Amino acid sequence: MALVIAGRVVPLASDPAVAADTSASFRGRVWIGDDGMIAAVTRSRQAGPAGFEAAPVVDVGTSLVLPGLIDLHNHLAYNTLPLWSEPTQQAPFAHHDSWTRARSYAASVTWPAHAFVTAAPQELLAYAETKAIVGGTTSVQGSPPKNRPRDGWLVRNVEDETWGTRNRNLVYASTLTMTPTALAERANRMRAGSLFMYHCAEGQPGTVAAAEFRDAVAAGCLQQLFVAIHCNAVDSGAFAQWTERGAVVWSPLSNLWLYGTTTDVPAARDARLPICLGSDWAPSGSKNVLGELKVARIVADHHGWALADAQLVEMVTANPGDVLARSWGRQTGRLQPYAAGDVTVIRAASGADPFATVVKATERDVQLVVVNGKARYGTPALMRRSSAQPVTDLTVAGQRRVLSLTRPDDPAQAWPWEEILARLEQVRADPKREIELGLARLAAYSGPFDDPGSPLRLALDMPTGIAPVGGLPKDLTQIRIPALDSLTHDEAFLASLVGRGWHGGVLHKLADYYR
Amino acid sequence: MLAKLPVDVLAAQQGTELAAGQVPRRVGRPRAPGAEPTLDGGQRLQVIDTLACVIEGAYCHLPQKRAGYAVDPVQALQLLRRRCVDMTDGEFHLAVTGLVTGLRDAHTRYRGPATVRGSVAALPFLIECYGRDQQPTFLVSKLAANSGIRKKTFVPGVELLHWNGIPFARAVDIYAKRETGGRPDARRARALESFTFRALDYGPPPDEQWVIVGYRTLDGDDDEVRVPWRRIMPGAAGTAVQPSSGVRLKVAADPAREAVRRAKKLMFAPALWQADQARTAAPAGDWLPTEMQDTIAARLISTRRGELGYLRIWSFDVDDHEAFIAEAIRLLAQLPDRGLIIDLRGNPGGLIWAAERLLQLFTPNTIVPTRFALLASPLTRAMAASPFNRLELEAWTASLENAIATGELYSQPLPLTEPDWCNDIGQRYTGPVLAVADSNTYSSGDLFAAGFLDNRIGPLVTVGQATGAGGANVWSDRLLRDALTGTPYAFAPLPAGVGFTLAIRRAIRSGPADGIPIEDTGIPGIRYAITRRDLLEGNCDLHDFCADLLAGQQT
Repeated sequence: MALVIAGRVVPLASDPAVAADTSASFRGRVWIGDDGMIAAVTRSRQAGPAGFEAAPVVDVGTSLVLPGLIDLHNHLAYNTLPLWSEPTQQAPFAHHDSWTRARSYAASVTWPAHAFVTAAPQELLAYAETKAIVGGTTSVQGSPPKNRPRDGWLVRNVEDETWGTRNRNLVYASTLTMTPTALAERANRMRAGSLFMYHCAEGQPGTVAAAEFRDAVAAGCLQQLFVAIHCNAVDSGAFAQWTERGAVVWSPLSNLWLYGTTTDVPAARDARLPICLGSDWAPSGSKNVLGELKVARIVADHHGWALADAQLVEMVTANPGDVLARSWGRQTGRLQPYAAGDVTVIRAASGADPFATVVKATERDVQLVVVNGKARYGTPALMRRSSAQPVTDLTVAGQRRVLSLTRPDDPAQAWPWEEILARLEQVRADPKREIELGLARLAAYSGPFDDPGSPLRLALDMPTGIAPVGGLPKDLTQIRIPALDSLTHDEAFLASLVGRGWHGGVLHKLADYYR
Repeated sequence: MLAKLPVDVLAAQQGTELAAGQVPRRVGRPRAPGAEPTLDGGQRLQVIDTLACVIEGAYCHLPQKRAGYAVDPVQALQLLRRRCVDMTDGEFHLAVTGLVTGLRDAHTRYRGPATVRGSVAALPFLIECYGRDQQPTFLVSKLAANSGIRKKTFVPGVELLHWNGIPFARAVDIYAKRETGGRPDARRARALESFTFRALDYGPPPDEQWVIVGYRTLDGDDDEVRVPWRRIMPGAAGTAVQPSSGVRLKVAADPAREAVRRAKKLMFAPALWQADQARTAAPAGDWLPTEMQDTIAARLISTRRGELGYLRIWSFDVDDHEAFIAEAIRLLAQLPDRGLIIDLRGNPGGLIWAAERLLQLFTPNTIVPTRFALLASPLTRAMAASPFNRLELEAWTASLENAIATGELYSQPLPLTEPDWCNDIGQRYTGPVLAVADSNTYSSGDLFAAGFLDNRIGPLVTVGQATGAGGANVWSDRLLRDALTGTPYAFAPLPAGVGFTLAIRRAIRSGPADGIPIEDTGIPGIRYAITRRDLLEGNCDLHDFCADLLAGQQT
């Protein structure tokens, strides 16, 4: 069904017919057609395209109508977990292989995540995607490997999105370090049109992790379809080699939490590389990319980097949208004709600077999120005006919100949020029993695993850590699952930043945005 | 006269006559359309292609079998592929079964169509032999209480002379050619063990529908009896490893032998068989009561050296290794510390963790577990690299990749039982101990025997040349299909419930025998030849032999 959203449009468009540059904002309307794509973006009361006569018009007043936010670095399977730190660690970790060897890592991260992916994969993804959407996210990277195709549910899953083409090779991702040969194979995949998102050179400068970028260079990966996640170990001069510019993904909270340093963003920008933001995973990251925007602001200010709010907002909209479009063949991250109808509405006062408003916005300010022309999340009033059906209620940061979440086995039925929470709590209460029941459900299925009707099976995409052979404790009753991580940057999360991690107090300023 | 047993147990014992049932005849033309599942040509190609792929890429003993038996199963499958469409269904299954059995590996089995799933063709008596290998004497050692055999002279102790008119030793040798087993003596032992009990999941039904058994009565007269084959469903014990268990990837067992073991229990110890289903401790003579009677039992035995402890480990097929170890500790506490015989004969294996963790109870030494290696191949590399297998196989990934450069046939061998878990309880029996095994002690039974020697716990006595020599961790086709999801080697479910089991990780001994594989060689011990008194009087000579060894240990 078509949808029209009226408000203060911040299109970040590259189409000059919409706006002269990406800094523009104006009172206008976004017209999303039945196909989920934007048909037009118009100013003021300018007439819209034909065929929208019956479409609901959702006027959000002075609120900002933005492209849906894009989180280009995450690991959804772990997003029920709280921030993790190793109590015995005396100094910042050197690189990505250091903290996975920490004593508490497997028990704190791998084992509880294993319980959820095995016992309640659907509920886990519903929770993780909800956590993303309450922060205005419409596309998220880091969907766990799965046995069968599954396009995004609430939000687009970058690795899984096929745009109806059934082509599963649009986007490749690797969390783990790849051999030079495997990288060379990926280089050729990119030459054939696939995007490759690679955790590359994650660690402190001067460590062995820097070699991963050199390997990528030698393999021929420095292409426009290469997205290098982290690169905080990369020597600042090395970015200049990347002349066919792909993109670098910056996750400042996670970097500071683990290593005390972060990506040399000015150096990457000097090499004219687009920068995208990623909230990373719950054990070392922010709750969503809206939160990560604030961390980026804090860290840029801390280092004295000249990064305007508008440039930060581009890191979660136009920049990732452009790089994804090279493989997807569809534009996201910009509001313009032929782009996907992915929209985020953020509350704003009349006349407020739109980009500063977005950077400062919290989950309380997210009014409406539309994915592919369908209202998926928002205030009860805006969701009603968007004719969103079916829906379930939930409370976010103390405010009532409505979520259009449907049952995995019946898209016509709402999936009550309380039911999802109850199921996850059931797993928490008795992980051993629930893991075994989950395995039994898989064992009972005798058909092909890639059949759309097969039980959903997820895999963890991060390293296992130091654990017994087989990765799990001898006795599964030893698995302890912490309380579900909240959806928002609440008081408990802000408190958990204090005295932990290796950010040296820099992240304490995050509380200024939320308190 | 029928023994007094619950009706359901009696019905289970009786089963159905093979001649009357729907058991597929694996040779010959189908009897009637729809009487049994038949595979069309395309389905046969699917079975062959799947087997060829996994045997070439994942079968951990392939280099050893090629060398040891001069066989090439992959090429044999390719040849079968050329002619399989023209075969009858029975001929096809028999050809595949024969080809896989030719690997002489009880872990690696072809499992026929689902219509026979879980059933065993049985005769109501047990045959065992005594004496030297070259001149064995075969006798009936057990007769089911409800055998239905009316000949009063056919009783335990009668010597067997002929089998369908064939001299009995020759009949065993002929049948042994169909059996797995690396050594001739192991094949013969297995043949004898399954001579009257055939697991129909893993092999063809008997050629005949009844047998004519020629025997010498206890009075010395020659006589004959005709006995029909019956089809029974022995099931698994309530404590067995479940298909969906968290430990399902840590199994080392002979599935056919486990089915036979259960069938024998149904026939000769029906009260215990029934108790297994209910998970209750049934009274059983002078055995200590235990709820885990399907796998472990203990009692006192009298020997010429006095009373000793006797721990019988029937099987390691347990889902809960903690409960199994705890039960062993409980039973050991009730046995005298003058000496202990641990009897593993006929143990077809089970959960590796149960076998290797049990060792610590008998020694103050630090237990070093057996290690396991994958065949280094493109398939195993893809499997280990799959995110779905990261928890299970991550530790093997680096060495599999390195094998490309080093030319190693195998990955680095790593333990499947965490070394800490093998030493987390410590010694619980402080007296001298000795283990007894035979050619039917297999897989996790082999691992226990190897660990018993390699960790210097005590002497090992073997009936036959060595243990059964099953040195691998075994996966079902389902587990392998699961593990290959998302790799270029993923395969579809096989038609008509056809399946297989495959040795996937090869076992390597530790300690003084470090690096020696178990497959085909087994664990040799102090040789012992079973006597007639052993068979008919509760192993009394064997117990005395062990008691002498234990006495020597004490001094």
